[in-house]
Amino acid sequence: MKKRAIAILCTIVLAGGLLAGCGQPKETQKPAQTDRETTGSETKDEVVVTMPTTSEPQSGFDPAYGWGAGEHVHEPLIQSTLTVTTQDLEIDKDLAADYSVSEDGLTWTVKIRDDVKFTDGEPLTAQDVAFTYNNCKEKSSVNDFTMLDEAVAVDDTTVEFHMTEPYSIWPYTMAVVGIVPEHAYDENYGQNPIGSGRYIMKQWDKGQQVIFEANPDYYGEEPKIKKVTVLFMEEDAALAAAMAGEVDVAHTAASYSDQAINGYDLFRVDTVDNRGFNLPTVEPQEKDGITYGNAFTSDVNVRRAINIGIDRGEMIENVLNGYGTAAYSVCDKMPWYNEEYEVAYDPEEAKRILDEAGWKEGEDGIREKDGVRAEFTLMFASDDSVRQALAEDTANQLKEIGIEVTTEGVGWDVAYDRAQSEPLMWGWGAHTPMELYNIYHTLSDSGIGLAEYSPYGNETVNRYMDEALKASSLEESYDLWKKAQWDGTTGITQQGDIPWIWLCNVDHLYFVRDGLQIAEQKIHPHGHGWSLVNNVDQWTWE
Amino acid sequence: MKILNRRQRVILGIIFSIIFLAAVCIFGSLGTEAARVTDFSRKNLAPCAEYIFGTDWLGRDMLVRTLKGLSISIFIGIAAAAFSAAVALVLGIASATMGKTVDAVISFIIDLIMGVPHILLLILISVALGKGLKGVVIGVALTHWASLARLIRAEVIQLRESPYIQIAAKLGKSKWYIARKHMIPHLLPQFLVGLVLLFPHAILHESSVTFLGFGLSTEQPAIGIVLSESMKYLVTGKWWLALFPGILLVATVMVFYVLGESMRKLLDPGSAHE
Repeated sequence: MKKRAIAILCTIVLAGGLLAGCGQPKETQKPAQTDRETTGSETKDEVVVTMPTTSEPQSGFDPAYGWGAGEHVHEPLIQSTLTVTTQDLEIDKDLAADYSVSEDGLTWTVKIRDDVKFTDGEPLTAQDVAFTYNNCKEKSSVNDFTMLDEAVAVDDTTVEFHMTEPYSIWPYTMAVVGIVPEHAYDENYGQNPIGSGRYIMKQWDKGQQVIFEANPDYYGEEPKIKKVTVLFMEEDAALAAAMAGEVDVAHTAASYSDQAINGYDLFRVDTVDNRGFNLPTVEPQEKDGITYGNAFTSDVNVRRAINIGIDRGEMIENVLNGYGTAAYSVCDKMPWYNEEYEVAYDPEEAKRILDEAGWKEGEDGIREKDGVRAEFTLMFASDDSVRQALAEDTANQLKEIGIEVTTEGVGWDVAYDRAQSEPLMWGWGAHTPMELYNIYHTLSDSGIGLAEYSPYGNETVNRYMDEALKASSLEESYDLWKKAQWDGTTGITQQGDIPWIWLCNVDHLYFVRDGLQIAEQKIHPHGHGWSLVNNVDQWTWE
Repeated sequence: MKILNRRQRVILGIIFSIIFLAAVCIFGSLGTEAARVTDFSRKNLAPCAEYIFGTDWLGRDMLVRTLKGLSISIFIGIAAAAFSAAVALVLGIASATMGKTVDAVISFIIDLIMGVPHILLLILISVALGKGLKGVVIGVALTHWASLARLIRAEVIQLRESPYIQIAAKLGKSKWYIARKHMIPHLLPQFLVGLVLLFPHAILHESSVTFLGFGLSTEQPAIGIVLSESMKYLVTGKWWLALFPGILLVATVMVFYVLGESMRKLLDPGSAHE
């Protein structure tokens, strides 16, 4: 009996040890804090900010490998850019003193300032600019530079971009590509970046933290915050760090938003970090082992019914604890957003559309038409609890109008291929209209010649976007981007083809230490990381 | 305690274990639908009369989820342990009876598998097979046979030298006859006990590999998923998400252990006649 008791005890301890052991890696090491405590009551000019582990740039701080100009766009801090996006996401100048585009849209001429130096003392010239862009074109795998033919330095302060095709939104690209020094660039640049930006990267402990210090020779306004420490950790660790008072800004998620932490306030930022799912618009067909299209969602009436059959307000309340805004497009609140996109929740109308289209309710409450059941699988990235909750809520809501949705967690290794035939919960949102192009424009040389991520194609929509890229000014292009969404007769909105359903923009939430004034934020794009520190140089302590 | 003798107590233990496991399996399979139902009107509820295990952030009933998760685990455990034991039996006997070369090869494979930490091999196999139920079952099955195979091999080698087998051989009985009539009946007790004791291993490994994100997919109510999801919410004080599923997992593992030990007592010649 005693032996057995010991054995049972051992089992418990082992099982406990197993689980505890598994839990360990989630904890992040205590940040290496040295001089923060000693600053005491003097005016502080340092901040410690947490970011998700996915924000750590794997290939270093090199724009050619996605720093700033990657999947998640943001200002590169270490380097400076030719242009910048303003508060309302139009374009302003930074390194560029002036820029213009030729009549045919094929040559952009940019005059740059002549008073800018890299932090190693060398002046920043047009050669560096040309080198940066040619290098990005050659190496970048995360950002598209195919419209650029070649960048040429005409003299020390003038650079010309020769394009392969007109690209009116080029200034948005210029706003995220940090200029690197040609003389100090090699394959290790990402590890020890040199730039002309507001901050210098002082130290990078991979998997833990990056420390930035203010650039004393910065050509613009002097940064008010002299030292920025960025710690990479998961949300639960960030919350724990805030509870322990170790960080000044901790990123967090809606599910933690009800936590009250002494000495911290919740800070929310409006975003265009949207979530939505694709609905393949063609009948199923196979090519190269991948199925394209979905029999149920290929009916436009089904897509319209789904779009108005979802109560976005309730979803935001349920899933995001109210920290979000309804999304109707991939570009809500951007200068190129077309208000026609907006729809009201109307389940009765949704049911009427389905009835009229011949989708009749069966015995189990699920609709059917010609032997096709009104059902689909909605996939979500299996490590993302917000997307999972959105998928589950979508399933619950669509059941009300007679559509059966099964949810499934998948890895990104299979998600892209499967999304060609089944809806997937995506996250998008960027400070460039190019996102519309990426999602809705057809690509003739990929898959079955339809849009890249989900089968869809509309000649008129394509034409407007092509024209928008050829437009002679940004203002003109905004108008064409809007027309691509809805021109009065066709488009990608409710009255149009509605190939994607957008649900909500997820607010970016942070716990901020009392006394820290975070400067006014631009609408954040997708990615809960670097956008916050775009203007860290203007933050202040009270 | 003196009312029942030792044998009766052991039998009682077995009956209790089987009832417990059957209950978990039956309620688990009845709750297949219920375990996936999400209802945001009842999210994050602490344990109460209606939801005695509480609910999670999607409003799922943790009791149903836990039972379903455990029944999935038990199913995986049975499938994997049975497969594992079959492999062990075949290889163990082959190793002991088919000559030096075969023995050397099989022993080498056993050493190889035992030399690599189970969990690593398990993750490798599971990921290579595309995760999911199939990956986990095959992964657990392929990693757990080695120790049992070694046990059987040693047992057979010892048996081979025992007088009654030697005599049977001298009498001209075929190898197959000896294996069938003399060896397998002798090996059966050890084999069955080994088989049952593989379950807890298989279950724990299934839940840990799923916990680490290399096993079943997140919309499934597997126990590893339940526990790893709860990790995110422990910091906010939602203790019930981890406590009850954890306790039930430990209980299930223990029950299997009791079952195995009891069987050993009943079948082992040393204690079978008490």
